[in-house]
Amino acid sequence: MTTATAPAVDSVEKPGARERAKRPGTGVGRPGFAWAAPAAVFFGLFALVPLALVVVLSFTRWNGLGSPEFAGLENWSKLLDDPVMVKSLWLSLLLTVLGVLVQTPISILLGVWAAGHQRNRAVLSAIYFVPLLLSITAVSVLWRAVLDPNFGVPSQAKWLFGDGNLFGVQASALGVLVFVSTWQFTPLHTLLYQGAARAIPQVLYQAAQIDGAGRYRQFFHITLPQLRNTIITSTILMVVGGLTTFDTVLILTQGGPGTDTTNSAYYMYQKAFKSFDFGMASAIALLLVLVASLVSLVMVRLSGYDKMRSTMEGV
Amino acid sequence: MRKRPHYLAGFGSLVWLFVVGLPLYVMLVATFQSRADYAANGPLGLPKKLTFDNYLNDGFAQYFLNTVIVTVSVVAIILLLVPPLAYAIVRSDGKATGRVFRLFLLGLAIPSQAVIVPMFYLINEAGLYDNLIGVILPTAAFAMPVCVLILTGVMRDITPELYEAMTVDGAAPWRIFRQLVLPLSKGGLSTVIVFSSLQAWNGFLFPLVLTQSAENKVITMGLYDFQTEHGVDIPGLLAAVVLSMLPILLVYLFARRALIQGLMGVGGK
Amino acid sequence: MALSLAACGGSAASSDGGSDTIHVLVYGDATNKVEKQLVDTFNKTSKVKAVLDTIPGADYQSKLQTVISGKQAPDLFFNWGGGSIKPYVDAGLLMPLDDFIAKNPDLKSNFLPSVFNTAVVDGKPYGVPMRGTQPVLLFSNKKALQKAGVTAPRTWAELLTTVKTLKAKGVTPIALGGGDKWPTQMWFQYIYDRVAGPELFQKAVDGDKQVWASEDSKKALGMLKELIDAGAFGTNYDSVKFTDGGSPALLATGKAAFELMGSWEYSTLQDAYPDFVKSDLGYGTFPTVEGGKGDPDNLAGNTNNFYSVLKSTEHPEAVAEFLKLMYSDQFVKDQLSIGNLPTTTNTPKFLDGSANPAYSTFQYDLVKKAPAFQLSWDQAFPPAATTTLHQAIQQFFNGQMGTDAFIAAMQNLPAA
Repeated sequence: MTTATAPAVDSVEKPGARERAKRPGTGVGRPGFAWAAPAAVFFGLFALVPLALVVVLSFTRWNGLGSPEFAGLENWSKLLDDPVMVKSLWLSLLLTVLGVLVQTPISILLGVWAAGHQRNRAVLSAIYFVPLLLSITAVSVLWRAVLDPNFGVPSQAKWLFGDGNLFGVQASALGVLVFVSTWQFTPLHTLLYQGAARAIPQVLYQAAQIDGAGRYRQFFHITLPQLRNTIITSTILMVVGGLTTFDTVLILTQGGPGTDTTNSAYYMYQKAFKSFDFGMASAIALLLVLVASLVSLVMVRLSGYDKMRSTMEGV
Repeated sequence: MRKRPHYLAGFGSLVWLFVVGLPLYVMLVATFQSRADYAANGPLGLPKKLTFDNYLNDGFAQYFLNTVIVTVSVVAIILLLVPPLAYAIVRSDGKATGRVFRLFLLGLAIPSQAVIVPMFYLINEAGLYDNLIGVILPTAAFAMPVCVLILTGVMRDITPELYEAMTVDGAAPWRIFRQLVLPLSKGGLSTVIVFSSLQAWNGFLFPLVLTQSAENKVITMGLYDFQTEHGVDIPGLLAAVVLSMLPILLVYLFARRALIQGLMGVGGK
Repeated sequence: MALSLAACGGSAASSDGGSDTIHVLVYGDATNKVEKQLVDTFNKTSKVKAVLDTIPGADYQSKLQTVISGKQAPDLFFNWGGGSIKPYVDAGLLMPLDDFIAKNPDLKSNFLPSVFNTAVVDGKPYGVPMRGTQPVLLFSNKKALQKAGVTAPRTWAELLTTVKTLKAKGVTPIALGGGDKWPTQMWFQYIYDRVAGPELFQKAVDGDKQVWASEDSKKALGMLKELIDAGAFGTNYDSVKFTDGGSPALLATGKAAFELMGSWEYSTLQDAYPDFVKSDLGYGTFPTVEGGKGDPDNLAGNTNNFYSVLKSTEHPEAVAEFLKLMYSDQFVKDQLSIGNLPTTTNTPKFLDGSANPAYSTFQYDLVKKAPAFQLSWDQAFPPAATTTLHQAIQQFFNGQMGTDAFIAAMQNLPAA
């Protein structure tokens, strides 16, 4: 099974035309729950059980030494009164929204552009992909070097960066976070759009050309609408990723200046591994998981993502 | 079909090349300089003297091997568990599988750092602390949701007639899975392979918290060796980074076509 | 589930119980090489074998806290003394070393007293010094000073005028890696010690919150504010880091004239700018403050690193034997050869063999004659206080926090 890619029927072409089908006979030849069980059990054991423990811990006082003591709602009431917590939620939302607004257009444009079969596009796409391969440590060192106020780009372009105090001011520190996340994660979303753009039937464009539609009209009237589902998928990934990112904050700003870039995920990490307040950290973690689940649930429902099979079969 | 070149797009692509390329340029140039030269030239300066010493770091072989073990195992677990799950989600009639799918969608929202404390406890209790298995299992678990998302997207794209045809022939789910679903999901499977190997290869938090000794270090932890209490050997670190990303870059280059084809279905149609 | 977690926290059993090994956990960096040799030397004669475990880089403290009370606990471990071990003492995990010292008084008497005392908690010794001492010194670029026609300042008043002269010449007077936050903290440590003496901070760590609002405290903050407002650090210091080489580069290239930094600055610069170190690097002590209560010979910084011993160790005799090596001739020679400065009484014998004899001797004499050696604030407070402490320090420097807000923030720090 490890080489599941070895196909039995290699020659079967991917169905190009996507005609909708009538509802097939039910039950016969369909896989049972047993097919889903191993993965579900595995995931439950290594993701859901720890999550359940987080729930328990959020009602305790524990610094990692000794035993957790039951603390009732103490962590939760402290959390609601904590100005840094409230601020961190706003920052999380802000970073997420900015992330989606900046990354989506860039990814769509790059994805659609890369979907072309020209040789130079393939080469450039390969270069564009590289940031996704870098580990967190490298990203930190590189961008710190490039953005160094005295020896990096800001010192060469004072007209744009002033004194180059990018990490010392909230607005620019947030800007750097959004920018570096975009730099690092755009390749992933570009790939999604590239795949989706290639899947758009050429017939649509040919018809539009006959109608005399130009490039830009084709983009807005054919490409974008056809990418609708991919936009939803990509946005869900961005939103959930955006709400829960902490390593970009950890490596670039450490939440500073002051607490000006401390988003909830980083605040949780700080509480757990800097202040060793595991109870409080668990409460924040749980809150974060709840918010992120809620948001993704709403988006999945609104977009009908989880119903997609029935829309396909149920015509 | 040849089109006239698109100048605006060309220009935009060059701007992006600059944005992506500048840090990569800084990285490559730094790796060919000694620490003293790098410090003297600054990140943007042109190197005066080239050296390959930064690439001659011998301690990395063990880390490399460990990372390969972790990555291959994670990919194997994913390939073993996720395709049947995705198949069940797309084709099963049972309500239970629908619930499982929603569970995985919610799983997208669980950041790994949220569960790291209990994870440490569980792995420790299982006697897997400072053991590569202890890194592999949670890494695979947290790579699963996105893989499920990708594969279900791809499998939805298989037209129902094809399933129908095989069902009419009296094929059991296993045969359908093997002869229809897997071959048609090739692209999606490559995407999943690339995605999960990326996760494993660059995994940071789990190795950090769950391993300790030099024999069980992976590359991302090895990179930490370049950071001392009060500083970083930047050229050495970046050279190690370049070396550590090469294998994944090769995987990408070879799997590129299949990868993009796999992604053609994501988001559903 | 709560019960099983309790079991996790409570089980203080040592790692691989019953086996004939002791686990030595140290901070992972370049010093590990000579530590490995030391362990090998030890294992040649000892029946109980020592195993050296390392935790790399910045996450040492976090990692330590997660392993120390569990199955993976080491037998002895590297730390910074002071607040860095206080929580473990409170949790009853550490062994007071009185018995070791009673049996072998050298474990105490062979180290400089100001250093040894850093690891005394609640009146009991919990650490034996290892590696070396790292006092914070004022480094300068002699060429830059010469060009501006100034010399290294001996007093605070001189520092202020020097800053103004340098600024007028277009040089950033003082390089500061504010992005790391702990370099900024160094200014607080010294100014508080010079103005109020070491007692003020000691009281604060012991839980006396009023001292932060004292006249001395306000005076120290006022002086710092004056220095910041005079433009001593430029404007973009929060975007500069020491750890990625940003602030040392400012000093070495003459874009800045001074940097207040731990003694490791020397080896950092030696690696990156050997020519600069040879001809233009100056170093000296922090300026004196006229009318201040602190002794001008007082130092601040990383007093030393220490080994502390876990109660749960199954081989206390072997551990005691191992600790003896920390003042052995071989240990001192090895440490000196890689640029560390041990604070044993036999160190002076070997200073000539150090990587930089003049620099090592200068430091050793400073540490020896210092009446008090202020441990870095973030290490004197328990780890839980670090984040808040660093944030307040950064916000005071960049003006987001006034004097009163800073005092309030200090008063809210979790007590030791």
